[in-house]
Amino acid sequence: MRKLIEFVGSTVVAIGLLTGLASAADEARVMQEKQAAEIVDTSAYKKEGPYKIGVAAGYMGNSWVVFTLQHIKYEASLHDDITEVLVTDAAFNPTKQVADIEDLISKGVDLILYWPVDDKAIEGALKKATDKGIPTINTGGGFVNSPSVTASVFIDQWNLGEMVARRLFQDMGGKGKIFAMLPIAGTTAAVDQLAALKAVMEEYPDIELLSAEYGDWNRAKAKQITENLLQKYPEIDGVFSPAGQMSIGVAEAFDEAGRLSEVIMSPGDEYNGWLKWVRTNNQGGAVTFPTRVGQEALRLGMRILRGENVRRGQKVPSEYISPGAAGVYAETDRPDDWWASELPEAWKPQ
Amino acid sequence: MRDPITSALSSKYGIIVLLGMTVLFAFIFVPEFGTVNNLTNIAIQSAPLAILAIGQTVVIIAGLIDLSVGMLLGLIVVIIADLMQGQSSMTAFAILVALGLGGGVGMINGLLNNLLRIHPLILTFGMLSILQGLIFVYTDRSVGQVSPEFSWMANGTIFGVPFSIILLIFVATFVSFLLYRTRLGAHIFAVGGGEEQARRAGILTGRVKVWAFIFSGLSAGVAGMLVAGRLGTGYPNAGVGYELDAIVAVVLGGTSLAGGRGSILGTIAAVFVLGVASNILNLMEISSFVQILVKGLIVVIAILLNQPKRIVAS
Amino acid sequence: MSDRTGTVADNLQTRIWRWASSNAIWIVLALLFSVAALLSDAFLRPVYIFNIVRQAAPVGVAAIGVTLVMILGGVDLSVGAIISLTAVLTAVLMDGQVANIPLAVTFALAVGAFIGGINGVLIAYNRISPFILTLGMAVVITGITQIYSGGTARGIVSPGFREFFNFRIGGVVPVLALFFLGLALVGVRLQQTTKFCRNLYLIGSNPQAAELSGLHVKRITIIAYALSGLMGAMAGIALLARSGVSSTFAGRGLEFDVLAAVILGGTTFQGGRGGIGGTIAAVFVLLIAFNLVNIVGLDYNAQLIVKGAIIIIASSAYIYFKKVR
Repeated sequence: MRKLIEFVGSTVVAIGLLTGLASAADEARVMQEKQAAEIVDTSAYKKEGPYKIGVAAGYMGNSWVVFTLQHIKYEASLHDDITEVLVTDAAFNPTKQVADIEDLISKGVDLILYWPVDDKAIEGALKKATDKGIPTINTGGGFVNSPSVTASVFIDQWNLGEMVARRLFQDMGGKGKIFAMLPIAGTTAAVDQLAALKAVMEEYPDIELLSAEYGDWNRAKAKQITENLLQKYPEIDGVFSPAGQMSIGVAEAFDEAGRLSEVIMSPGDEYNGWLKWVRTNNQGGAVTFPTRVGQEALRLGMRILRGENVRRGQKVPSEYISPGAAGVYAETDRPDDWWASELPEAWKPQ
Repeated sequence: MRDPITSALSSKYGIIVLLGMTVLFAFIFVPEFGTVNNLTNIAIQSAPLAILAIGQTVVIIAGLIDLSVGMLLGLIVVIIADLMQGQSSMTAFAILVALGLGGGVGMINGLLNNLLRIHPLILTFGMLSILQGLIFVYTDRSVGQVSPEFSWMANGTIFGVPFSIILLIFVATFVSFLLYRTRLGAHIFAVGGGEEQARRAGILTGRVKVWAFIFSGLSAGVAGMLVAGRLGTGYPNAGVGYELDAIVAVVLGGTSLAGGRGSILGTIAAVFVLGVASNILNLMEISSFVQILVKGLIVVIAILLNQPKRIVAS
Repeated sequence: MSDRTGTVADNLQTRIWRWASSNAIWIVLALLFSVAALLSDAFLRPVYIFNIVRQAAPVGVAAIGVTLVMILGGVDLSVGAIISLTAVLTAVLMDGQVANIPLAVTFALAVGAFIGGINGVLIAYNRISPFILTLGMAVVITGITQIYSGGTARGIVSPGFREFFNFRIGGVVPVLALFFLGLALVGVRLQQTTKFCRNLYLIGSNPQAAELSGLHVKRITIIAYALSGLMGAMAGIALLARSGVSSTFAGRGLEFDVLAAVILGGTTFQGGRGGIGGTIAAVFVLLIAFNLVNIVGLDYNAQLIVKGAIIIIASSAYIYFKKVR
């Protein structure tokens, strides 16, 4: 674990500074980097403690979110002036998330962290918060440039998809047939990952995308779909699957069909079940989707409440971990549905 | 002998009594509940589901069920938001499209129901999938933006009263009038009570059922306008799960899934019980996992308290 | 002579139609399967066919139990939540140790049966809609699962457990598929031979008469729901065995796949009709529908549209065969 901490590092890099990988980025992305580097005037939000923190979760139904929330609670425990952390769960329903945000405002919270069901759909509710002087922080979604979002502490799904695609294509020697296993259709994650994949494919004319499938972050569904695709396509050379929990189902289907040796799995994320698989099979690796984004978001929120100036976008960068290194982070005595994280033992989910 | 509270709860208006008790509890124990702001929020939050559930009440009274309304609502949200692109000039047209699409798909449901004679649950379950497919044919991400008027319809107030509540009252009054004061309403009850008898009495049961589905579709149209206004954008999964919330509210409100009887007022009260519960659970700072449990218990307990009286077998 | 052959032919025809009308869903399945086989030869490969059987196991096992309560005139929408709960519970109790498997499985089955029993008691002693009660119970169970698990599917599956169920006998038939087919056959057999199942039909077709004739309606109702809960738990274990479980919501929404299969299979909401055989056939109809559109390579949106259309067309075809006589 220590190693992971060092490896991923705690560097939060302001987005304007980075990306040697910008070649595939189009103008919109350059524009986004500029917007993220803007300084937010936080004077309107400055207030004295003690503080009540609201978390409007778009959903609580997966382990990544549970770990991210633990990071928020852990960070809160480090601040004496935070009296409580209120959490609401919209269960993937954007109208419920709108209602939840309104409820949190009624409750008189001083700061709202949220991860969206859909960015645009909750803008109106977030505006009500900022109008009342409550800063809003997008936690772990993509970067949002909107007056109703005070700041984004974000993981760039597009960037993540790009890193995963590049690594996959390199591992495949730049040619072959792939399919993509994406999360729930319509979500930002699915949209951005597919867009990034297609953008990188422009540079690799010999890569052919057989089909894009939606496994809903569900291991069983990913396995079932893969079993079907294995029947349809006699040749599959690679799989683009950034979400580790689906990658396991995909890999298992290949294995059972006796075709695991013919396929190259893309990196997944630091989902423990996937890391275990990487360790056993010594391939795939991981591009991280760091759960500590929760901690960074609350830190940023506290700076805003103190009236410090902050950047509009603060990126928590995804890191590539090679198969050899990723295996080290696998915790065999932990469940599959678990995340490699830097949380102190006492703050890990019970 | 049962104590008065239990008997009040298990009376015909049990759900209304339950609503009263929930609100009373909230006023006493949850300080933030009674603020004008919060009450307005609850009203605005509950209105779309209430309108959708009114339509569902009509189909269920007719002895049918409509699972397709959630996805129909979603399709309408996506299409009208995309049509408007934030322009006021498109408002009227968007309203027409919402109602036309809602009523149209409802009519298709009704006609297919008569033509194919398969169980409406299966038919509308299939339609749910088809409509979801159509949403994703249209877009795989949030599109468009509603006009300021739509936003106002969903969030604005007139003299302090939310417009969406005025709309709800209008829809409820209109549908109640229709159900209790018109021949079509009487026929809807008759078909739900016993289709064969209704047919023998000379009622064109097929046509009545088509109308029931049209009302359900129209309610998805009106509710879809409010949801679009709430969200401001056309989110493809906006309608997921609405059909179940609507059905739960209808049955909690005292309408029998067997058809033939039901109450619009009960349905609305049930929607508000669920809305108020969700609100006070948030305000009482109860963990979101426990909230799920409590909401389930509310449904179970409400249904147990509010069960129909034993009917003498005919 | 000619008269006689004519009668035989007539008889044969009547018989075929009678057979067709009582096995309509199997005809639909056969038709769909033929179409599938024409469009993709995957459906002719034994290994893939048994993949389908294994994919069907979780929903199919749960559907057997739900068929019983629907014959009775009830319904059980809590099975999806029971699947989620028992899948997580089994893995937690296993804790990665082979020695824990018997305890984990037994306890999970007991929990399923117990929850089903609660459903049964509430429904037997009250005049409430089982549809809404079990929908509410589903939410309650989901809440319990979340509180118990803390939101992650913690728990480690014992080594050998999944390997055993996924082992292919003769390189073709996975143990889990065999387990499912075995359960289905036992179910069909019991349904034909036991007094309990006969009573289910009696109560379903006329509850008042059944009560008047001295049947223990309440007891039978409770047992039927307990069985449904038990089968739900088996389905949870089957899901864990088939693919592992990546969240605490593994069974979410499966109750509607189950419900659609039971109704499509000829068991009605009113009760008193249908049976396990039809349900099993319908489970395969729905599954093949999904796999077919997936395998012929339709886009996600087209998959949804075609899946919906197949559900509607298959049930219409079923009604058609039922009526022709």
